[in-house]
Amino acid sequence: MTTKKTRLLIGAAAVAASAAIALSGCSGSGGKNSGAAGGTSTVTLFSGQVGNFTENFNPLSPTGSGLQPTNGVIYEPLFYYNKAKAGNPVPLLGTSFKWNGDGTELTVKVRQGVKWSDGKPETADDVVYSLNLVSNNPALNTSGQKWVAKKTDDSTVVIDFPATAFTLEPQVLGNEPIVPESIWKSIPDPTKTTNVKPVGTGPYMLKSFTPQSFVLEKNPNYWGKGDQAPKVDQVRYISLSNADAATSALQSGQVDYMGSFLPTLKQIMAQHKNLSYSNSPQATTALFTCSNPGLGCTGPQTDPAVRQAMYYAMDRTQLNNQAAAGFSTPASPALILNTVNKDQITNPDYLTVPQSADVAKAKSLLEADGWTLGSNGYYVKDGKELDLSINVVSGWTDYDTICTLLQGQFKRAGIKLSVNQVAQNAWTQAEVSGKYQMSLNSINMGPSSNPYFQYSQYLSSAATAKVGGSATTNVSRYSNPAVDAAIKTLASTNDKTKEQAAYKTIQDAIVKDMPYVPVYVNSALAEYNNSHATGWPSQDNQYAFPLPWGGNWGVGIVLKTIRPVGK
Amino acid sequence: MTTTVSMGEAVPEVAPTAKRSSIAALLPSLSPKLIVGLSIGAAIVLWAIIGPFVVGDPNAISTLAFAPPGTHGHILGTSQTGQDVWSQIAWGTRGSLIIGFAVGVMATVLSALFGVLGAYIGGAVDEGFALFTNIVLVIPGLPLVIVIGNYVPQSQRGLFLVAVVLAITSWAGSARVLRAVTLSIRNRDYVAASRVSGERTWRILIVEILPNLIPVMASQFVFAIIFAILGEAGLSFLGLGASGTFTLGTILFQANQALALTQGAWWWFIPPGLMIALFGCALSLINFSIDEIINPKLRSSTRSQRKKWGLTPAQIRQLEQENLK
Amino acid sequence: MRFYLQKIGFYVVAIWAAITINFVIPRLMPGNPVDVIISKMGAAGQTVTPQTRHAIEVALGGGGGTWWQQYGDYIVNLLHGDLGTSLVDYPEKVSTVIGQALPWTIALVGLATVISFIIGVGLGMFAGWRRGSWLDNLIPVTTMFQAVPYFWLALILVLLLSRVVQWFPYAGGYDVATTAPGFSLQFIGSAVHYGFLPALTIVLSSIGGWMLGMRNMMVATLSEDYIVTAEAKGLRPSRVRMTYAARNAVLPSLSGFAISLGFVVAGSIVTEQVFSYPGVGQLLFAAVSNNDYALMQGVFLVISLSVLAANLVVDVLYGLIDPRTRAR
Repeated sequence: MTTKKTRLLIGAAAVAASAAIALSGCSGSGGKNSGAAGGTSTVTLFSGQVGNFTENFNPLSPTGSGLQPTNGVIYEPLFYYNKAKAGNPVPLLGTSFKWNGDGTELTVKVRQGVKWSDGKPETADDVVYSLNLVSNNPALNTSGQKWVAKKTDDSTVVIDFPATAFTLEPQVLGNEPIVPESIWKSIPDPTKTTNVKPVGTGPYMLKSFTPQSFVLEKNPNYWGKGDQAPKVDQVRYISLSNADAATSALQSGQVDYMGSFLPTLKQIMAQHKNLSYSNSPQATTALFTCSNPGLGCTGPQTDPAVRQAMYYAMDRTQLNNQAAAGFSTPASPALILNTVNKDQITNPDYLTVPQSADVAKAKSLLEADGWTLGSNGYYVKDGKELDLSINVVSGWTDYDTICTLLQGQFKRAGIKLSVNQVAQNAWTQAEVSGKYQMSLNSINMGPSSNPYFQYSQYLSSAATAKVGGSATTNVSRYSNPAVDAAIKTLASTNDKTKEQAAYKTIQDAIVKDMPYVPVYVNSALAEYNNSHATGWPSQDNQYAFPLPWGGNWGVGIVLKTIRPVGK
Repeated sequence: MTTTVSMGEAVPEVAPTAKRSSIAALLPSLSPKLIVGLSIGAAIVLWAIIGPFVVGDPNAISTLAFAPPGTHGHILGTSQTGQDVWSQIAWGTRGSLIIGFAVGVMATVLSALFGVLGAYIGGAVDEGFALFTNIVLVIPGLPLVIVIGNYVPQSQRGLFLVAVVLAITSWAGSARVLRAVTLSIRNRDYVAASRVSGERTWRILIVEILPNLIPVMASQFVFAIIFAILGEAGLSFLGLGASGTFTLGTILFQANQALALTQGAWWWFIPPGLMIALFGCALSLINFSIDEIINPKLRSSTRSQRKKWGLTPAQIRQLEQENLK
Repeated sequence: MRFYLQKIGFYVVAIWAAITINFVIPRLMPGNPVDVIISKMGAAGQTVTPQTRHAIEVALGGGGGTWWQQYGDYIVNLLHGDLGTSLVDYPEKVSTVIGQALPWTIALVGLATVISFIIGVGLGMFAGWRRGSWLDNLIPVTTMFQAVPYFWLALILVLLLSRVVQWFPYAGGYDVATTAPGFSLQFIGSAVHYGFLPALTIVLSSIGGWMLGMRNMMVATLSEDYIVTAEAKGLRPSRVRMTYAARNAVLPSLSGFAISLGFVVAGSIVTEQVFSYPGVGQLLFAAVSNNDYALMQGVFLVISLSVLAANLVVDVLYGLIDPRTRAR
């Protein structure tokens, strides 16, 4: 009797297992993307979303909580500023623009014949409304300056600024979505709406939404014609939880377009001929140091000789190979990119950082500063050991690996490094309040590749505060009056000669003081699957900044440029 | 992941007076399970003590990344930063075991305090302790540990702190069991007799009650160690483990972050988990033997016992078919 | 009667304690959510100026006032069912976000726990009934699975079963490309297919505990007098086994099961991290990383209340089934 029961149990288990596998057949796992229903071409996109999507298509949200395609794919700005390539901005809803002499008035020509996705015409009134809506609302206006836009005729909009505002150009022309006045004037609080039925001018519009995935479809009223029109019928967005899942998705053809750092990327590309990728570096990974004792910083890193010694003690080739999987590119001590911004680097010595470690030079710099080598191999001065701590976000694996490797590399130069792996909010808090010695972070580009944004955000005294207060972006507490004056010059002029002189002042200062010790330029990898669509950006042809991350207007350009395979 | 909290389990009558000869009755009988468990456990503990003195530097980086076992003298290969996995595991075992034993001791002490003491004193103290225990029991453990782990600044998050956090969230279940057992012992005749004859409270506790509790507490101690090691591994996997020291959990975390399995570096990911599993297995085997003390009926009629009866295979088959227990 | 009143009194106190702890702990955590958002904006290439911080603070409403005032507001909101607005998914309400994720967690981890319990207790019953059979040897094996770190086992199974042989998918709750949530056979089939591997890992890693507990209790119960009486009366062995022995032996396991059901939500965190499962555990992790007070509180509350509810059910049931506990 028991044996019969045991057999029943085993039988039941087998039935359950086979039912699970059989039911999987019902779910139809084949033919996911192309040719699903009557030849509809679909491209699947992974934007880095972990967990469920929250239905929010608000292009004006100050916290950036609108879903990825909102800015760029559903809504468009006046011009597109391509961070991956030096060049003029691409006309979208605006066709041309002109500044007056002192940068207080910007005249923009508006494209005619544009329609919203609900069929109504888009006019200069909408442009004026959108720009003023942002300017007048303190929760939406993250630039800190107000402007007034007015329409002078059906095809021209003039924007007036209270002070010289050349550097606001990418923000106003390239970073502000144009929204329909007819809909938004009846929304009581534009920061809180979730805008679940978005109406925009972009190449795609929302078709359907579930928390696990949503679908966009071609906008039949899009202003672009021919090559400028969207050709792929549908775009589907999915979420994945980690790099492992992303790797599998790419390899199995489940995702066509994504922007993840995959350490096995080179093997994947070698094994799958239908995949391609491009690398659009824009951020310089650097050791952020709390460098200014005048503003309350304490620790050995406040000594410029120590920072210089670290600069020379790094073996960046090892860091590139083992932390960045070979995808990083050499940085410049001028803290801007030596590719896109090559012309703005004022001294040929500032083009690249040394790629291999120069331990002798590091040691001589320290010894000239009064440090002596202690018995345990680390330098000592005034009885204190050269002991530095660095904060890094736990889970950012390439950064974690950099810190582990730096520990060993610095040890050879007599510098002791202890690594604190912290959660992101604690890491941010430490930087903002100044209560840290070093922090591994990156110098990010602003809304365009203009070096003004990097320098003003990371070096200006206006963006910093004492240790204990809240610094906005200049967390190194660097404060140099000559640099501040040069930054002010950059903000108030369009004259190339004056700009170059200002760059020289700034760069000479930071190469000497090195408040941020550059490591390498971090990769920004985007991967593509060419089986369902072609025309993706390539390494040599980066017609848009292709990372499908939040806030990137370039995704709209990419999506409308690609063509489905077989059509 | 799940724990079985047994309420009202029958407590066997072990010899009440704590004379020397009954100590022998408290010790487990040497079955093969116990021998295997003890030897594996002892080997791992020994390795944890001696290993770090013998192996190389676990922190030494090199350019030989993801080297398979056997290259250049690396017994278990290298990690992404070129560090030797074999050395890291030796140090990691030591770290994990320290946490395990620390949590075991702390949790047992806490549960004894809130379970045994409260139950013995009785009255309002008992009610209060029981209420406190039940409240701690219903507060979700892992989320609480995550939050506390985030709260403490990274630089101070050493082995000991992780142990404290794990102990705080794990003593409540055992306390409940101990309370139930103590309550049933408290009402036994010999305890009443001691009280009536004027013995002091602490003497009754130590001499009369505690010896009956030792098998239960020993089993809980072993469970606490397993729970602590697994809990620490889980915490580290979520990125909240101890900083600055190696534990098997932090090695697993690093390996997982570097996508070791996907990149084919199984030698970095599998051995630490295997080490945890082996140690846990050894402890479980020891726990089985302790179970046999608590519940003497588990000792008889095991397969090994039956072999001693000297039956022929045909007789054994007939025995099984007749469904005799 | 007094028994039930005592129980209810305890639960009221426990609920209050849980709510208060839920309120206090997120506020003890370091860091300010506004700072996290600003650093994320910087990393995404958006302009950040001193006014940006002010803009965001205005948008998020600050949260000023003393802790006592906030506590009062919190309790009042709770009574209205308002759990606040989430920061991670601004401006969604916390209750909506949790409501979307909760069914997945309950379905996966709840079902897996139930399956594990039934199989474990069943096997334990047979192991206890037939001492010395091959089932006895199964116990150390299953117990070894319990000693293995859960995520380690899960990741290896994922490697084997979804990459080496591609039987099961590696991530997600259902096939988003071909089906949408609803009561269609296709959706349910897809959900089962995607949930099989996570459920398998949960069952494998927890079955040992149930089996061991049940076996030990069976052995203890089988030596009781009434079992001997039942056999002497000539009842069928299967009836003795089920109605007399197992029914009594399963009591401690039942209480443990109800408690572990309460912890289903808490225990899902690691599972969902490994399998990218769209449940509550992932929410909690995101909330903690982003200092999203409201979401953290909401998830804690859900977990605490479910644990308390499970405990209440157990206590009442136990009082009903086992009269000995009532008379103390």
